[in-house]
Amino acid sequence: MTMALGAAQVLILILGAPLARGIIARIKAWFQRRQGASIWRPYAELGKLFQKEDLAPPTSSLIFILAPRVMFAAALAVAAFVPVLQPFALFGSVGDFVLMVYLLALGRFFLALGALDGGGAFGGMGASRDALISTLAEAPLLLALAAVSISARSASITGIVGWTLRQNFFEISAVHILAFAALGMVALAESGRMPVDNPTTHLELTMIHEAMTLEYSGPSLALLEWAGAVKLNIMLALLISLFGPWGMAGSLAPAALGIALGAYLLKMLVLMALLAVIESSMAKLRMYRVPDFLGVAAALSVLAVFFTMIAKR
Amino acid sequence: MEFVGIAAGKVVSTSAVFLILTMVGLAVARRISTCVLLFSMQSVIITAQVAATAYLENSREAWVVAGLVFAFKVLGIPYAFFWLVERLKSPRDVKASTTPAQSVFVVVVMVFISYAAVRSYAFGIRVPEDALAAAVALILTGAFLMVSRKKALMQMLGLLVLENGIFLAALTTTFGMPLVIEMGVLFDVVVGLLLMGIFTFRIRDTFDHLDVSRLRRLRG
Repeated sequence: MTMALGAAQVLILILGAPLARGIIARIKAWFQRRQGASIWRPYAELGKLFQKEDLAPPTSSLIFILAPRVMFAAALAVAAFVPVLQPFALFGSVGDFVLMVYLLALGRFFLALGALDGGGAFGGMGASRDALISTLAEAPLLLALAAVSISARSASITGIVGWTLRQNFFEISAVHILAFAALGMVALAESGRMPVDNPTTHLELTMIHEAMTLEYSGPSLALLEWAGAVKLNIMLALLISLFGPWGMAGSLAPAALGIALGAYLLKMLVLMALLAVIESSMAKLRMYRVPDFLGVAAALSVLAVFFTMIAKR
Repeated sequence: MEFVGIAAGKVVSTSAVFLILTMVGLAVARRISTCVLLFSMQSVIITAQVAATAYLENSREAWVVAGLVFAFKVLGIPYAFFWLVERLKSPRDVKASTTPAQSVFVVVVMVFISYAAVRSYAFGIRVPEDALAAAVALILTGAFLMVSRKKALMQMLGLLVLENGIFLAALTTTFGMPLVIEMGVLFDVVVGLLLMGIFTFRIRDTFDHLDVSRLRRLRG
């Protein structure tokens, strides 16, 4: 039964990812006083791409076709680490948060390889930029997670969430506020959202993620897009479960699970609205300002780790 | 009322973190208007802290002080700053002499130092360690802002941040100062701001810029 629940959580994260993208686009459209597309449009786009032919450049090797599959598989594996409805996840006892971070990194690594293998000039440019950003984002991501895990005295995500769930909301410490700020900034960078990368641009000089997927078509492109959406969904779910898990089901009773699902969707909507506000009100940072942005995240996460030392508990 | 009590106690203990967040923000901000907004937010946090102390200690004077701080530091001074920025028509950049990453690093080191400095002192007397450390960090950050920003307006803002720190230190160590002293300090700040505002106009009119580093040529 718990296994089925774990599988259901992974399915929520994977299948709900395009919907999350659609809702964010809709909220953004609403902020810009446009009507906006249907929130189900990302599914239609994925369906369209899956029916098309998969084209590979004649100079490319096996890696070009392999990369989107590996990236999607990595996203799938990471999704199995994140608790959604209950402080339980399929891979909860398999590995700790470090493994999760490096599974994310594996996906990015293969995406960069595939972009380089495509042979286009933009692919290489996008890959080198993405490598820079992911290198800089890794330290704050790991440190922020480490800070939370030190205060929870547990290295697995499910352990941390279970501990946070037992705390009083008012007892949330400085560590959590700082780590939340740092992780929020990293989540923006990791999922290629606004101040770091513009997900809707196709302008040569500014695109990062789009430049890497430029050579892809058909099912490969669909998998890349889907994996990107899943990554965003995972980051948001991670923020929710680490810093605001209250409402998660303590038992397997249907009523408790229903409440947990409702609470999760509500928190997700709040985060999406926040994301839409950030994206509508901020301009994309210049490439050379991105290290400053992530430097602030790193400073906040260092502070968070420092605060675990002086916290009373 | 139980709930209000818990919330008030929580405000006193967590406000230090939010103050540190504003300090980091001040270190990275590139525009004067952003800095002024951050100062205003900082003052909101301090107002909340004064109000929480007033509630917990049950003193009427502290409520008056909270109102004064809100009126002057949250609304009045930032408004005056925006007016000054508008009137001076100088570029909006703060002209930092350190990169944002360096500034953040310096601020983080200062937070560490202030915690280390306060630790042994706060242990002896009945004082919340976090708030006192945040106050010391505010003083250090204000001084750092004054040293590292070249715009004359940022010198004023740095002084105000520093004064916020002194105010917070006084609040946390004495649990609310006498009303007369608080009012005196506030008026001091306002008069200081007024004088410095006039000076910035004079500097601008005489030299056509507000870059303090260029005043160095004035030495005899």
